[in-house]
Amino acid sequence: MKDRSVYLKVLWILSIFLFSVVVVLGESKPEATTPPETRMTISYLYASNDTVTLTAGIMVKRETGPTYLANAVIDFFATGGSDTKKIGSIKSGATGTAILKYPVKNGIPRDKDGITTYSASFIGKGPFPASEEKISAKLAKINLKFNSQDSVHNIDVSAMEIEVNGKENPVAKQTVVLYVQRLFSLLKIGEVALDDAGKGSLEFPHHLIGDSTGVVLVYARIEDNDLYATVQGQNSINWGIPKHYFTAERPSRELWTPIAPVWMIITLLVMLTGVWGHYMYSVFQLFMIKYNNKGKNP
Amino acid sequence: MENKITREQLLREFAPQLEKTSRSAYIWIFFLLGVIGLGVYAFVTQVTEGHIVTGMRDNVVWGIYIVNFIFFMGISYAGALISGTLHLFHTEWRKPIIRMAEYLAIISLLIGPCYILLCIGRLDRLGYLILFGRIQSPITWDVIAISTDIFGCLIFLYLSLLRDIANLRDFKELQVPNWKKKLYSILSLGYTGTPEEEIRLKRATDIMAAMVIAIAIIVYSVLAWIFSVTLQPGWHSTIFGPYFVIAAVYSGTGVLIIIMWLFRRAYHLEKYITKKHFVAMGILMLVLAALFGYFTFSDYLTKWYGSEKNDESLIKILFTNYYWQFIFSNYIGVLIPLLVVGLPKLRTINNITISAVIVVVALWFNRYLIVVPTLESPYLPIQDSRPEWVFYNATWVEYSLTAAGVAMFCFLFTIASKFIPVIHVSELADPPEKEQQLL
Repeated sequence: MKDRSVYLKVLWILSIFLFSVVVVLGESKPEATTPPETRMTISYLYASNDTVTLTAGIMVKRETGPTYLANAVIDFFATGGSDTKKIGSIKSGATGTAILKYPVKNGIPRDKDGITTYSASFIGKGPFPASEEKISAKLAKINLKFNSQDSVHNIDVSAMEIEVNGKENPVAKQTVVLYVQRLFSLLKIGEVALDDAGKGSLEFPHHLIGDSTGVVLVYARIEDNDLYATVQGQNSINWGIPKHYFTAERPSRELWTPIAPVWMIITLLVMLTGVWGHYMYSVFQLFMIKYNNKGKNP
Repeated sequence: MENKITREQLLREFAPQLEKTSRSAYIWIFFLLGVIGLGVYAFVTQVTEGHIVTGMRDNVVWGIYIVNFIFFMGISYAGALISGTLHLFHTEWRKPIIRMAEYLAIISLLIGPCYILLCIGRLDRLGYLILFGRIQSPITWDVIAISTDIFGCLIFLYLSLLRDIANLRDFKELQVPNWKKKLYSILSLGYTGTPEEEIRLKRATDIMAAMVIAIAIIVYSVLAWIFSVTLQPGWHSTIFGPYFVIAAVYSGTGVLIIIMWLFRRAYHLEKYITKKHFVAMGILMLVLAALFGYFTFSDYLTKWYGSEKNDESLIKILFTNYYWQFIFSNYIGVLIPLLVVGLPKLRTINNITISAVIVVVALWFNRYLIVVPTLESPYLPIQDSRPEWVFYNATWVEYSLTAAGVAMFCFLFTIASKFIPVIHVSELADPPEKEQQLL
């Protein structure tokens, strides 16, 4: 009878334990109930190497928040007037971004004003619906030149738009932003307002650091323009301060280097010596027991 | 040797434990081997398919393996602390249970670090920890500390076994295979109990008893510092060192009570392991329950009151996803021992043992709540993570290896009891310490 009550108690304890295990295993996670919604973004850049760069980004909007959609096939089209040309298909990456670089020399449709409408389209897959985004831009290019006068360095900027017939006209009254390339991003060094001839000039800053020979890469951009979208020109010049690369001291983990934590090493050695010393003494006592018995019973 | 008659009577009484293995014992051993075999299969699956078969992902990089590591190391330190303390204080009532505490110390110390090896993805790079280890790393401290502790506990165990091994060597009526007799002969080192030998042995044992206490505290504090020196909310706490030590001794006391109950039942040791022993261990468990409850309350109170964003996120997870585990480990696991041992009417052997079982399970969950929910509420926000990667769910591989570890623990205890009696024969046969001084 007593044993039975003990077993019942043990059974009760086990039941509590199993219940807890079930609770651990059966944690419910929130699930989305409304279908997801996809959103597309597109940006345009025409660079001085005559390449159009289209960057499309696709996101999925859920109840739990927006996330990027990876491995989605984005189709890029260029439309000018009544002509539409598919210029590429790119699969989106882990951040939902698909980048297409298209050489203009391959031909793009343009309307009578020289404007091309670019679109990024996702046709939909599974639970993710289709989405599309467009951007229009007219071809334009920016040239960068450098000149020095009386030890004053200047950056001369000129911007020209390209008509359908290939003729170039100056881009007037636009703002061009100038950057230099840094390690992870671009550093803005100034803005230039273009005159009627599409030209402008900016004094080169004295304090910029270049590479080991002082070369600095300068970018000039017309950004987010209604007509030209984003246009970029670049050039390099050795007006920067040469950067001296110091060889970093090799990360050293050895205990005998100058950067070793001496206090920690000493503390550890003292503690370990004390502990293992006691161990050795105890083992020595055992050896003495065995040795004495060996002496008595050879 | 002195008191030979009394010692021989004890040996005659305990000899059947070593000589015979009952059918139920064989069933028990084969059951344990079966569970261990399942663990081996799970291990092979993990090695061949990789850690994808576990529930660990980019967010929760530590799961049940680390929980088991902390748990087993904790009960090991408790065994070392209890056996060392009881030895140094020369308490009479310790004699029947001190060997179980010594076995607990070394057996769990051998199993615990195995879970670290299971958690490591590239075991072939383990040697780099030695070749390129950084002295500034808490992991390096832990490797040094655990290695030191293993040696210390092995030496201490051997010192305490020596006299009994010599008694078994000399006991002519023992009906065991010759290889066991030879083993006793080798391990006894020719010990005959002369005054000089006794002095040497006592000196060494006293030193090692003090060392294992100190080592146990330091080693488990180092294990706590692996967590507390990080900036992770939930881990970055100045009281983690003593909190872990208290929790370790608490869980180890519970395990020791369970072991006492099991061996008392299996080998009919009612005459030697009495209610007095359970009450004594129960009182220790009560004190530790109070201390553990205090430390837990202090830790969570400071987190909650500060209202720091990451701490709030952690407490929210604890009280939503892990509500019942939190209540069980920090309330039931503290209050039940306090009630059972505190109220004289409830203070029975079986009640104390049941509360010990609750304590052990509660402390396992306590370690789980320290490790997993903390990793689910990261210090640096992790973007674009799928929900199934953020929340941890252990898989059959991890549960199997957990069961295998427990089975191995029981198996080694069973095998150890088949070599040396679980009751310290020499100490039981010795006259009480005060009487020795008068003589």
